[in-house]
Amino acid sequence: MRHQRFRWLAALLALGLVAAACGGDDDDDAADNNDTEASAFEGLSFDESASCNTDAYAGNIAKLEAVDELTVKFTLCNPDVAFPAKVAFSAVGIFSTEQLEETGGAPIDNPIGTGPYKLEQWERGNQIVLTANEDYWGDAPPMKTVVFRWGEESAQRLVELQSGSVDGIDNVGTEDFGTVEDDSNLQLIERDPLNVFYLGFNVDKPPFDNEKLRQAIGYAIDKDRIVDNFYPQGSLVADQFVPPGIPSYQDGADGYTYDPDQARSLLTEAGYPNGVDLGVLSYRAAVRGYLPQPPQVASDIRDQLAQVGITVQLDQQEDGAFIDNANAGNLGFYMLGWGADFPDATNFWDFHFGEGASPQFGTGFPELHDVLSEAGSTTDEDARNDLYNQANEMLKEHAQALPIAYGGSAVAFKASVDGAHASPLSNEQFSAMSIEGQDQLVWMQNAEPSGLYCADETDGEALRVCEQINESLLAYEVGGTEVVPSLATDYESNDDLTEWTFTLREGVKFHDGSAFDADDVVKSYRVQWDAADPLHVGREGLFTYWGALFGGFLNPPPEPAA
Amino acid sequence: MLRFILRRLVSAIPVLFGILLATFVLARIIPGDPCQAALQERATPEACADFNERYGFNDPIITQFVHYAGDVFSGDLGESIRLRQPVTDLLIERLPVTLQLSAAALFIAVIVGVPLGVLAGSRHNSKTDVATVVGANLGVSIPVFVLGLILQYIFAKQLAGTFLALPASGQLTAGVIPDPFYEVWGLPENPVFQFISNIDTVNAILIWRWDIFWDAVRHLILPAVALSTIAMAVIARMTRSSLLDVLGLDYVRTARAKGLRERLVIGRHALRNSMLPVVTVVGLSFGTLLGGAILTETIFNITGVGKTLFDAISGRDYFVIQGFTLVVAVAFVVINLLTDILYGVLDPKVRVG
Amino acid sequence: MAIEEIPLSETQVVEAAPGRRERGLWRDAMRETFRKRSARLGAVILGFLVFIAIFAPLLAPYRELEVLISSEGLRPRAEPCIHVSVEWIPEVPVLEQIKSFLESNGFSCPSDQPQHLMGLDGNGRDEFSRILYGARVSLVAGVAAVSFAVLIGTFAGLVSGFIGGRFDNGVMRVMDVMLAFPALLLAIAIVTARGPGLFNAVIAVSVVTIPVYARVVRSRVISVREQDFVTADEALGVKRRRILSHRVLPNSLTPLVVLATLGIATAVLELAALSFVGLGGDPDRAEWGRMLALERNQLFTSPHLVFYPGLMIMLNVLAFNLIGDGLRDALDPRLNK
Repeated sequence: MRHQRFRWLAALLALGLVAAACGGDDDDDAADNNDTEASAFEGLSFDESASCNTDAYAGNIAKLEAVDELTVKFTLCNPDVAFPAKVAFSAVGIFSTEQLEETGGAPIDNPIGTGPYKLEQWERGNQIVLTANEDYWGDAPPMKTVVFRWGEESAQRLVELQSGSVDGIDNVGTEDFGTVEDDSNLQLIERDPLNVFYLGFNVDKPPFDNEKLRQAIGYAIDKDRIVDNFYPQGSLVADQFVPPGIPSYQDGADGYTYDPDQARSLLTEAGYPNGVDLGVLSYRAAVRGYLPQPPQVASDIRDQLAQVGITVQLDQQEDGAFIDNANAGNLGFYMLGWGADFPDATNFWDFHFGEGASPQFGTGFPELHDVLSEAGSTTDEDARNDLYNQANEMLKEHAQALPIAYGGSAVAFKASVDGAHASPLSNEQFSAMSIEGQDQLVWMQNAEPSGLYCADETDGEALRVCEQINESLLAYEVGGTEVVPSLATDYESNDDLTEWTFTLREGVKFHDGSAFDADDVVKSYRVQWDAADPLHVGREGLFTYWGALFGGFLNPPPEPAA
Repeated sequence: MLRFILRRLVSAIPVLFGILLATFVLARIIPGDPCQAALQERATPEACADFNERYGFNDPIITQFVHYAGDVFSGDLGESIRLRQPVTDLLIERLPVTLQLSAAALFIAVIVGVPLGVLAGSRHNSKTDVATVVGANLGVSIPVFVLGLILQYIFAKQLAGTFLALPASGQLTAGVIPDPFYEVWGLPENPVFQFISNIDTVNAILIWRWDIFWDAVRHLILPAVALSTIAMAVIARMTRSSLLDVLGLDYVRTARAKGLRERLVIGRHALRNSMLPVVTVVGLSFGTLLGGAILTETIFNITGVGKTLFDAISGRDYFVIQGFTLVVAVAFVVINLLTDILYGVLDPKVRVG
Repeated sequence: MAIEEIPLSETQVVEAAPGRRERGLWRDAMRETFRKRSARLGAVILGFLVFIAIFAPLLAPYRELEVLISSEGLRPRAEPCIHVSVEWIPEVPVLEQIKSFLESNGFSCPSDQPQHLMGLDGNGRDEFSRILYGARVSLVAGVAAVSFAVLIGTFAGLVSGFIGGRFDNGVMRVMDVMLAFPALLLAIAIVTARGPGLFNAVIAVSVVTIPVYARVVRSRVISVREQDFVTADEALGVKRRRILSHRVLPNSLTPLVVLATLGIATAVLELAALSFVGLGGDPDRAEWGRMLALERNQLFTSPHLVFYPGLMIMLNVLAFNLIGDGLRDALDPRLNK
């Protein structure tokens, strides 16, 4: 009899649990309840042209206007020939006004966009899962699910690819190119080297304040030896600061060549006829496209300098500390590089050597500032080329940075991935890829994104994920740097290149079903542009790329006393 | 008995306080201004003044410590600067993962180490003894990261496609997002349930998804094996020496003199009593494994306490460093305490001392 | 012999100077230790490592920092190149087998090419030479880390145990706190605080192990302190310092020696781990942990560059572990001999 009672009790308990489970609420219908009716079009417009070219405002955007539901107009303070390329960048991806307001200007881990994929879940530390956007305005993405994973060691990524648990990896190790090519189950796709690796000096710190010394070092470095031995195929020796593929790359530039005799004689002129001990050469161990083998390259540079009588000690700093030190101008002699964010000269030149550049090189050179700002606003191609040639020569003369190499890199995919490609901007589009017989594509990159609100991110790892979710007015073509239509079907500018009008695509919806219109565009730009806007929040509040793209913020916080 | 337990508890209190103090100091010896680390370029003097005011960095050190202690006791461990999540949330996410890994490693260490130790101890000074000693030491001598890489290469790459294949990294197959058991059961979401649901194997059983359970186990095998080698050697060594100790005692000599077969001597008489110190070592190993999983977690991409701590130190994430080290150290002390008490329960001689 | 005939001096010697008897005990302990086969093996390995450390400049065909990219026109990570057809090698079958193995795997090369037994490292330096030179740093670093820790830990333990009372309690609590933190974590924190580099890594590893020695010495001190010969000394008015150095210290050395030997093994592993996570500093110095860390991503393409340093670390650790185990067995009075 006792058994019977127990059985009933157990059944009741089970029923109770089942009832409770069924009664449990699903959280995900909350998203469906969002307004599918278009929010009324307000025609947002912000005219700050009065601030143009004043001391209070260093930026280039004068006016933002939603002319009608499907038209946006930008007015600039000064001409900008690269404006379309900038507008295509992921830092200015479009968010819905509602979402920006709901998240208080920080849609960091739940971005909602218009892109081919939407964020399903971000399992911090482990994976990011994206699912296909059924209502995408373009071609439906073939892969239903895309999973982002990460692994810091190239050997680990390769093992994962070879074992089949991931379908594509980023940054194949230098020595592994051959292995991938020889493997018939895999495909290796090289990336154009759109970056530069350089030796930097802080020209205010002795002994590096000696220009002849810096020039001597320029001649002492055998760049061919470095690129041949420590860089993967597809890498090139650098002859100027900007890599080929960036407009304003000058063919036949006259950079430093390897000439130890010249180096020694310059060293004597600099006041060191018997060689010199320069102290430390600082670097970090972090692997980047421009520098896949930092300790080995540092060692080799030390050895090369020793050949001409220059002694240095290697100072490997911890990653975070190194960047902090560089940005603060604490390093006298260091190894660093730069990868292209968007295909424009200003992304390379102005960021490092323009007027507001970071103190990593010490005091800037006014004539270089002038040349660069002129080149940035000139529309005449020949004049631009001429100006950048001048910039190249000035950089060679002052030698505050010695470009060494343009680092090639590569991605590897399973051979069965159709549409596999590498983007020179590290901007791979997974919506263009498909694998027969698989619903899910797994991609393994170097590191986890810090956040997914790309307005406030600078790391390529984050940008790549954002780009699948949020789109900008224009986009870069798949695997290339050409600018193509995206959320804007068309654009035109006036002759001055100061007014740009974009015609928006009709019928585009955000992932939550709300409609896309010109207000969203203006709002997305506005919250970055105006530092005093309550939604100018982001993850860290830096919005670094806005400054790099458009010069500056409205109502910026006061500069720290230098 | 009770007095023994109380005495041990009381002696643990100053140690816990010391740990509190030490974690406070630890976070601050890492160079770099906390404001700089958090705000980087936005670290203007005004912004830093606000930041320091908010986090109390302007107060004298003693006040800061008092606030810190107070916060800890009220359960507030601060917020991760990088990940923007409360440290307690992060702990609930990641501590279970390390617990699962350490438990698996300990399990392997025990089932391999104890028999090895018994084997070596029962054949003292024979070839088997030497071989076992060298073998166990060999295991401990291979750096964990080398062993991990080799294991990955063999089982993930060379054996890919065979039934022996094992995943190279991660905790679950990509794209798998198991439902937490409290959602499936309709239970309220509270920290304890969240903690349990983050133990993948347990959660999988609770939601009756044996495919996920098996997936989780497969991902655990390689890292657990790599992690177990050190503890395995210690346990083997301890078992062996403890057995040798007991084998030298009078009652064993008596048993032998009585003509009892060696196997019975060991199995029936010596083994049980020699297990006592082994229990202690097993308990201590768990504490060591908990903190020692840093390298293993990094190699196998397992998001546990070790990896998070390492990232936090590199990223100057002060509150994570403080909170996580605090929890790990306290866990170690607690495990020690429990082991001591257990030993006292099992061995009356210790209680009197 | 009748009791009255035992000379008084002998009994005095036995009671008043256990220190001297300890030294005889040491000789016995050494003999006992190396009676074990495993400890003998450890000693042989250690001897081998010390040998190559001392004679590295003579044994190594190239210098530690010599980059061969320009001079020999070779690429970094070149495969091993072993001259197998040298005339003076006798025609013994075993050697023939080795020769054909090397040839079939592409490791052999004609004698007009420069020989590199272990190939070149990532910077084009002779790996074999660096392995040899690496013995110096790796051995010294491990021993240094432990020596430093033993010195400070012993001092702390001696003083604390002898003074006793609240001071002792306090010091031991501090040690307990230190022990509660995972060793590698603490070491990483210390190196991050001081900056990467071998010296800082050695300091970090030694700081982390101080409590172990302090605890052991202190417990020995406490047990020795109660013994008669110490009470006798105190009654005789012998200075504390003398008691410490002449009575207490020698009696505490036994567990210390065992722990220290095993500690060197752990220290070498911890140093390798620190190099692995990038905190080892100068990539030019030949140090096994660093060499391994630099090539860890080439495990599959140039496994010899990972294997050889890894093997050396393993031998280093194994040697100390085996000797330590042997010492423990020999010195443990409870074991039936």
